[in-house]
Amino acid sequence: MTGVAERSASILDQPEYRVEGRDKVTGAARYAADVVMPGMLQAAYVTSPYAHARIVSIDVSAARALPGVRAVITGADTKPGRLGRRLQDWPILCWDRVLFIGDRVAAIAADTAAIADEAARLVEVEYEELPAVLDADAALAAGAPVLHPDAANYAFLGGTRAQRSHPNVQGQALHEHGDVEAGFRTSHKVYEHTFTLPRTHQAYIEPRATLVWLDGETVRVVTTNKAPFALRQHMSVALGVPEPRIVVDAGHIGGDFGGKGLSIDEFVLYHLARATGRPVRALTRYADDLQATNTRHAATITLRTGVDAEGRILAHTSRVLFDGGAYAAGKPVITLMPGDAMLTLAGYRVPAARVEATTVYTNQVPAGHARAPGQPQNAFAAESHIDLIARDLAIDPLEFRERNIVRHGDVDVTGKPWHGTDGPALLARLRTASRYGPSLARPNQVNWWGWGVALGVRHVGRGRASMVLRTLAGGRVELRTGVSDQGGGAHTLFQRIVAAELSIPLDRVAVSRGTTDAVLSDPGVGGSRVTPVQGSAALDAARKLNAKLAELGRSIDDASEIEVTGEAAQETHEASTYAYALRVTIDRETGSLKIDDATLVADVGKVINPVALRGQLEGGFIFGLGQAVMEELRVEDGRVVTANLGDYKLPTIADAPPLRIELITDHPGPGPFGAKSVGELANPAVGAAVANAVQDACGARVMSLPVTAEKIWAELPK
Amino acid sequence: MSTHRLSFTLNGTKHELEVAADRLLIEVIRDDCGATGTKLGCAVGVCGACSVLVDGELLSACLLPAVFADGRRITTVEGLAKNDLTPLQDAFIREGGFQCGICTPGQLIAATALLSEQPRPDHEAIRTWMMGNLCRCTGYYGIERAIQKASGVGGQSPPNRL
Ligand code: FES
Ligand code: FES
Repeated sequence: MTGVAERSASILDQPEYRVEGRDKVTGAARYAADVVMPGMLQAAYVTSPYAHARIVSIDVSAARALPGVRAVITGADTKPGRLGRRLQDWPILCWDRVLFIGDRVAAIAADTAAIADEAARLVEVEYEELPAVLDADAALAAGAPVLHPDAANYAFLGGTRAQRSHPNVQGQALHEHGDVEAGFRTSHKVYEHTFTLPRTHQAYIEPRATLVWLDGETVRVVTTNKAPFALRQHMSVALGVPEPRIVVDAGHIGGDFGGKGLSIDEFVLYHLARATGRPVRALTRYADDLQATNTRHAATITLRTGVDAEGRILAHTSRVLFDGGAYAAGKPVITLMPGDAMLTLAGYRVPAARVEATTVYTNQVPAGHARAPGQPQNAFAAESHIDLIARDLAIDPLEFRERNIVRHGDVDVTGKPWHGTDGPALLARLRTASRYGPSLARPNQVNWWGWGVALGVRHVGRGRASMVLRTLAGGRVELRTGVSDQGGGAHTLFQRIVAAELSIPLDRVAVSRGTTDAVLSDPGVGGSRVTPVQGSAALDAARKLNAKLAELGRSIDDASEIEVTGEAAQETHEASTYAYALRVTIDRETGSLKIDDATLVADVGKVINPVALRGQLEGGFIFGLGQAVMEELRVEDGRVVTANLGDYKLPTIADAPPLRIELITDHPGPGPFGAKSVGELANPAVGAAVANAVQDACGARVMSLPVTAEKIWAELPK
Repeated sequence: MSTHRLSFTLNGTKHELEVAADRLLIEVIRDDCGATGTKLGCAVGVCGACSVLVDGELLSACLLPAVFADGRRITTVEGLAKNDLTPLQDAFIREGGFQCGICTPGQLIAATALLSEQPRPDHEAIRTWMMGNLCRCTGYYGIERAIQKASGVGGQSPPNRL
């Protein structure tokens, strides 16, 4: 590996220049909503105004009679079709019951969007309202309405669904290691706190867009989905069309943040395309994206931790309850929970733990994956809990973390020995880089400014990928990949890896993306996977090409028509750690907070794309900051009331505080040349860092996100 | 619905169309003129993805009735580069001014308008002017670096080993 790193160094020192850069700054980059087809129709939907209701009757005659309407279909036409990434529980169109406000009961294809909308208003649906389950605890009550009585008939992709303790459970898991009871018995003190987290939205700026048409026997799909091969599989199972007859084209994607792994339009558009014989497009309105796609899970998290007299963690239990909403379709993980549902005290030495997590059905907007799924919830709870314990023990919160951070070979909350980041070194960097000032030096004194520290852990992505590299004339090569571009810079990453390994200039490596019929299967963008998995496949391709050239005794300059397949299977369980120190000031009149200064230290391994890497960390910080201080998808009686980007507030440029980033690069990861992943590394811990700083500044402890001025004001010590 | 004859210049090319009174400028630019560089995000005037210049003035095309464009000169992202990229476009690439790129046409249009009013905007001026253009990817730091670099004031590529 050392030899490789040296050989590649000069190429990787070249300035990074996005391969799609020119297209993106000139407006030439093609997104799904930019694609049109001759004869294309526009779709609109009829959706439920009730959180839970039985459909008594649907009358589509007036809609069908409207000039310009080409098809009106209902659940009777799509029954029993259901969609989903793992569990296919979301009806393409509902036929007997609706389970959330926004659930679809009919779909229209018309010559224009205005006509389609008008037709949707003409569909008459009679409902019989049913008792709704609006919170997660109510879902598990004895006698709660069972929301999915036919669950046994749902398709479950790639495995079998685990047993459940209650029919309203989507998924659940229990982890236990060590002697938890003994740990609590010998503890000096035991602390228990409960935290609540709201629903939030991924809030990509590009709403979903989908276009489907039939080309003979082939179903063609242009979409904003970020995992085209997975979508092809979901469609194949849900629609009964063999995978080779479905071709998915996912080009530039206008932001994903986890949300665009779930697709809901392709399935119904297939039926509309069949009914009309024409291409049919659905452009989601932003309001509908906020109200009826898949959100981050709301959660209630109770943590209980016992410590010895020096503040060392001895035992930990946790109970995490996620509100999964009406359907589990958005979750790709086999447990049907958000990806890191169980990481309730990540980054610390935890000799004994029992972690219980449950995701339940409710009559709310469905929840799915969002940047580092499960982690912002768990990190907010854990890092607030740690701070509360430290303060109660009168130990400086940073020092408390230094005493407890997991070290090489220690067991963490997963029960596995730690091989990741050198935690003490990371915290030492944080202490110096931030010029952290000991906060407990001024007890019982309100300064209105203070420090907050929080730690986060994210796994380096795992999985398999493959791609083809071939030589072209003139010493050039082309890498063909199925990876769509959602903004992370994957294609530029591959270019730099291949050029470095082949020791050729960057501009001699072309990276092209193909539709699902034209390239090798790819797992898609997500799960902190692209750099370690797909990046490793690109590296493997370059290595194989080098080996082939050596075998043939040729140089790359006179080697056309050579083709190799790069493959990667990254199964190493490795995690990397990052930490924040924030300094905030609280306005004593209003309770509003201002972040004066932020420091992020992150263990990133080898840097391949310096600009993109920095962008992921900066963007992750502001993404986390939005969820920390302003974002909440507010729901009243099952209805999303923050239904536009004016009400669902996102950070603007004026909200971005000074940010200092320090990278730890000397602990190589399993990715190419020792790289790790950064896309989901920076956002989860921001919420707790803010809440901790607020308490340090003014004594107010906010136990829920977002940390708003109203909440700070309400919690100020009287 | 009444229709109107409309004539305007889009990135230097003259367009004459018949449009219904309720059509929005963004629809006409994207659907009728085929200039899809300008993006539709929030559709309610908040995100700035649809930013265009109308006679040099920065406006949201998702809120403007198309008839408003009659007799005017519209510039979208497609109209910024002549042959070479503008310094601002180049700086967006080099400084990490975009990731997914969906907000970028609007950011570039807004920043172009800023630099034509204030060729050397400082930190506060950039923050004030660019507040109407949301970006979910970059956290805005790269956008500010790019604007500074294009204005000749600053911008620094991150060194490879930080
Ligand atoms: S689309 Fe016009 S401001 Fe958002
Ligand atoms: S680059 Fe993706 S929203 Fe700005």
